[in-house]
Amino acid sequence: MTAAETCRAVIVGGGPAGRAALVELPGAVLIARPQATAWHAEPGHVWVEGGGRVWAEPFDILLVCADEPLLLAALGCAVSDGRVLTDAEGRTSVPGVALAGRGTGAATPQDAERQAVAAARALRADPRVLQLEEARSALDPAATRLDPVALASLLEQPVGPGRNGPALAQRAILGAVVPARPVSLAALAGLVAAMPEPIPPQRDEGALA
Amino acid sequence: MTDPDILVVGGGLHGLSAALHLARTGRRVRVLEARQVAAQASGYSAGGVRTLGRHIAEVPLALEAIARWHRIADLVGDGCGFHAAGQVRVAETQAELARLSERVARLRAEGWAHEELADAATVRRLLPAVAPHVVGGIVTRRDGFAAPLRTTLAFARAARAAGAEIAEDARVTTVERRAGLWQLRTREGDLHAAPLLLNAAGAWGGRIARAAGEPIPLGFNAFQMLLTDALPPFLAPVVGAAGRPLSFKQSETGHVMIGGGHKGHANLDTGDVRLDVPRLAYSARTALDLFPILRDARIVHAWAGIEGVTPDELPVIGRSAVADGLVHAFGFSGHGFALAPLVGEIAADLLLDGVSRHPIAAFGPARFGQPGAVSETRSALLQPAG
Repeated sequence: MTAAETCRAVIVGGGPAGRAALVELPGAVLIARPQATAWHAEPGHVWVEGGGRVWAEPFDILLVCADEPLLLAALGCAVSDGRVLTDAEGRTSVPGVALAGRGTGAATPQDAERQAVAAARALRADPRVLQLEEARSALDPAATRLDPVALASLLEQPVGPGRNGPALAQRAILGAVVPARPVSLAALAGLVAAMPEPIPPQRDEGALA
Repeated sequence: MTDPDILVVGGGLHGLSAALHLARTGRRVRVLEARQVAAQASGYSAGGVRTLGRHIAEVPLALEAIARWHRIADLVGDGCGFHAAGQVRVAETQAELARLSERVARLRAEGWAHEELADAATVRRLLPAVAPHVVGGIVTRRDGFAAPLRTTLAFARAARAAGAEIAEDARVTTVERRAGLWQLRTREGDLHAAPLLLNAAGAWGGRIARAAGEPIPLGFNAFQMLLTDALPPFLAPVVGAAGRPLSFKQSETGHVMIGGGHKGHANLDTGDVRLDVPRLAYSARTALDLFPILRDARIVHAWAGIEGVTPDELPVIGRSAVADGLVHAFGFSGHGFALAPLVGEIAADLLLDGVSRHPIAAFGPARFGQPGAVSETRSALLQPAG
């Protein structure tokens, strides 16, 4: 069994691209709305809401087959002009993370499927060494920084370019804009039963630089 | 600007408040901000304006500061989104209520009456949506909340209007004292010099102090906040809890802000923060336990700002113990927002006159080097960040 075959793969998006990707990545976990929503991502796992609960879905390779630039931006993927940067196979600037379908501008379901197959094969070939040469975020920062309440007003708008574009422009000022999609407060609250142990302050022995 | 009289390191709320007060005396002030104004804690605070639950040493400053918040537009020409909606600290058990009662009695003995013990019925009148298990609490009626970014930008505008210069993207890399001048070089290579220096660098204040030859222990936290979608109005005061970290309020837009102390992870070198989702979840759980009306709410935004934290969770405000012409005002440990209108005046007085008329002995920079001198943190109630 190769390393690629033991990789934990996650596919986000249940449209034509997601379904095509699942054929190429048998055993992958498919996160598809409305049953399950990927609402946040961190290196190595996607946070999912579904069935009234929230959980972390671990991955070694992640193929996003939906237009979710904030999800990919949360992972550190380079973004330019409101779009996640990819190479010809859909690989992003973050190793093991790829994009296919609507998020890369696929015009038809057939295009989306072709992209998904290509991206899945590229990820399967060697998820650990994918690189996107010279990928640099080139976000135009927003003219005005939004305060958290104004940003919340933006993020509760329907997910789409009218929301994601301005949110990415805020990202250029603020850093990651989280979460990528709204999540149920009650479902999130159900993640932990007891108060976590307090974390002591982080120490700083650093110097000016 | 010709050579400034005073350099201020840090374009957060405290540095800008000091710059405003200094500039209004006619001094030439230059603020050096590593990123942009309000880039860290000042722009990400929960905006609590609170006298409630303060450490005894902070109470006089908090009371003086709250008076200034009630006329904040006179100071900066902007209302700063301040709402004197009151604050309530709720007790979920009789044991917690007993501790709150002791707290109020202790304040009374000191001559302070701003914290009122409230029974369950009183709390429920103030918070109709609060959970039925709440048994009482403390109320402070003149407290409230403001809009942190708007407030910080208002102080920046007022400081500029008074003649202060604010240099952004001016990260200080070296600090030296030569020939009676503080000489600060930025990453871009620019050299700034002045006889007086204010260290208002927030979580980076310890680094500035060390570079000036005065080690002051300072850690840092990334305090996390959540915002729900816009909900119908159900809450006016800011709410905290006696037994667990919580700062909870509803904005004019209906969004409910949930914070109070659960932390993410920060990198002081890059300024990046990473959220800790399980700890965010516990903040959500606390809010839901106390306000079941939130059961259908959705979280639409989460963030964290980096805040400097001292070993005794009290700020460092005072003249340097080792260097001439240096004043520190940093390390507010997550609860400095409300104090800013006053701290700027104190810092200005210390720089120009060497003394302040306000009681600041407990915040002296030298206290950490004195055996047994670190004050008892427990003389405050649980301090919600923001």
